[in-house]
Amino acid sequence: MKKLMPLIEKEVKDLLRDPRIYIGLIIPIIMLPITGIIISSSIRSVAEASVKRLDVAVIDQDGSILSRGYISMLRSMGLNIINPESNSLNITIREAEENGLKAVIIIRKGFGEQLSNFRRVNVDVYLIVGGVGFGSIGGFSALDEIIKLSSKALSSALISKIAPNVNPEDVRNPLNITRYTVIKGRIISAAPQSIMSQLVIGYGVIVPLVLFILALTMAQIAATATAVENEEKTLETLLTFPVSRYEILLAKLLGSSVVAVLGGIIFAVGFFLYIGGLSGAFIPAGTFIPIELNVGVTNVLSAIPPPPSESYFILAVSLIISILFVTSTGIVIGALSSDVRMASSLLGVIVIPIFIPSIIIMYGDPRVLPVSLQILVYAFPTSYPMILAKEMFLSGVPQEVIYGIPYSAALTFAVIYMTSKILAPEKLLVLQHRLKMRRIRRGKKPS
Amino acid sequence: MKIKTCDVEAYGMSPTEAVEVKDLIKDFGSIRALRGVSFHVYNGEIFGLIGPNGAGKTTTLRILATLLLPTSGYVNVLGYDVTREADKIRPLISYLAEDAGTYRNLNGYEYLSIVSKLYFSSKTDAENAVEEAIKISGLGERVMDKMKSYSKGMKKRIQIARALMVKPKLAILDEPTSGLDVFHAQYIRRIIKDHVKDGGAIILSSHNMLEVEYLCSRLAIIYNGEVIVEGEPHKIKDLYSASNLEEAFMEAIAR
Repeated sequence: MKKLMPLIEKEVKDLLRDPRIYIGLIIPIIMLPITGIIISSSIRSVAEASVKRLDVAVIDQDGSILSRGYISMLRSMGLNIINPESNSLNITIREAEENGLKAVIIIRKGFGEQLSNFRRVNVDVYLIVGGVGFGSIGGFSALDEIIKLSSKALSSALISKIAPNVNPEDVRNPLNITRYTVIKGRIISAAPQSIMSQLVIGYGVIVPLVLFILALTMAQIAATATAVENEEKTLETLLTFPVSRYEILLAKLLGSSVVAVLGGIIFAVGFFLYIGGLSGAFIPAGTFIPIELNVGVTNVLSAIPPPPSESYFILAVSLIISILFVTSTGIVIGALSSDVRMASSLLGVIVIPIFIPSIIIMYGDPRVLPVSLQILVYAFPTSYPMILAKEMFLSGVPQEVIYGIPYSAALTFAVIYMTSKILAPEKLLVLQHRLKMRRIRRGKKPS
Repeated sequence: MKIKTCDVEAYGMSPTEAVEVKDLIKDFGSIRALRGVSFHVYNGEIFGLIGPNGAGKTTTLRILATLLLPTSGYVNVLGYDVTREADKIRPLISYLAEDAGTYRNLNGYEYLSIVSKLYFSSKTDAENAVEEAIKISGLGERVMDKMKSYSKGMKKRIQIARALMVKPKLAILDEPTSGLDVFHAQYIRRIIKDHVKDGGAIILSSHNMLEVEYLCSRLAIIYNGEVIVEGEPHKIKDLYSASNLEEAFMEAIAR
């Protein structure tokens, strides 16, 4: 094992200096934050522009003092009211579309009279969709919010007229509800929806996504590290050195894992910077936010009881098993590939079986799936850390993970054993020779 | 026709065997690459394996280098059986493949240093080996450059240096000068010649008959997976009444 260190040194140095590797590692930390900032600033500028100028046409069919007062209220709340040339709805809508107005509001006849008699009044709002984008959504949300606000102001005025000494809010919402969530015996002063949305996005989606990217990075690096030995014709020499094939395999496993974990950390940092960049995108008050990106997971985590310490241990074990599984599979792919390009193509074989279970785990519950899909999820060791990361905070260690770990360990051991057999020069050279002959027979030029 | 002319004692060499190959057969699926190859290599000699492309030279050398296993026959390298004792053979030999590449992103010094640590447990021995390799390679300051910047000749020189710095008892060199210009080829021949002065053996393959005649004390001509003649260069020339080794080679193949 003393010879392991020089071999690992070779792997790590050769990988980290290879542009095919380091460019792939660096890109996420540069591109993801830039992407986040670009998306953020473009959404924000469009949203701000659409909110800043909320042009609406108002057809006042009532023409009463109260309806005119209501129009003034809307104007004071930020709407740019344009008086239409015609009282015809169709003509006004057409003109509004042509002039890029956001909406046409119709104040029906009887507005003033009904309001004076404390009866509900009819106001129709025709929202005009001119394009697809977050900016338009922001504009509609802001408009909607202003109309709701105007309704609230009218109700406050009516309540005050009937009962001047009463707080209108007490009449509108007589129940003052405070929501608490109980998780594993601990009471948290928040609605479960907000806690769950943070946990689902944080641990149900982001953590499995990062683990998936990490698994792919590892497989790719291991495959590249081995395929490049074939491409540069160094593997044959390496196999004649006085080191066992287990040491060569272990050096490749550890070397690839070190570089891949580094890549995973860089990706995670880039990803969180991307999320951070995005979270500043949405903004004017009341604007609709399509997904709650600013998850604030740490706040929720500090509030809920931590998972039992053994779940962290089990998570670490399942992660190590997964790392060994994907790296040794990558080494097999690399060893059988004549060059890096071929290894990248063959990696598709491993991407799909890892990708589909990841999606299922992120957005669903494997336990309620048909048996065939359950088998697909539970067949791959990479699924277990994802399942555990998702479940451990609220449910502890799921039963399937407890059974899955010995299975994953056995499968991974079998893959490592097979990899070490393939790295035996005789087998490897003969296998490569066969693959080469097969390609020749298929009419492809051998490399 | 097969001749045996192991007159090594006449050259003042030890008659102890570095390599013994007997009735070696190697099959790749249905293709028989070697058909009962036999020859000996003695300590302190440079032995040449010559033959046309596809004759079985590289397959034979790969078996000696413990990369491939014989299908049948007996191969003994430095007293160990290649089939059962490959682990004992590897620390004693060096192999230079014909198209051996380099780690593009390591510099020459790092590469030599890593390889030497695999052969020597003592730090001093490893460092001495690297110093020796730098001398052999003749790369000077360029040894600190990344190997992807090396010319073909420089890559070959560092590989030769890598193979010989560990002072192998047997160096297996597959076409060590192929693709090199006259100057670099001459440089590498000198290094090879010097190496056996310490008693190590070298087995090499080559298509260059002048080189083989210059370097090798004995040689075997291999054709279609069989050794058709083995002996000292001048005796082989005499046998075929040839004025040079190239003529003898052509005559041997023609028969």
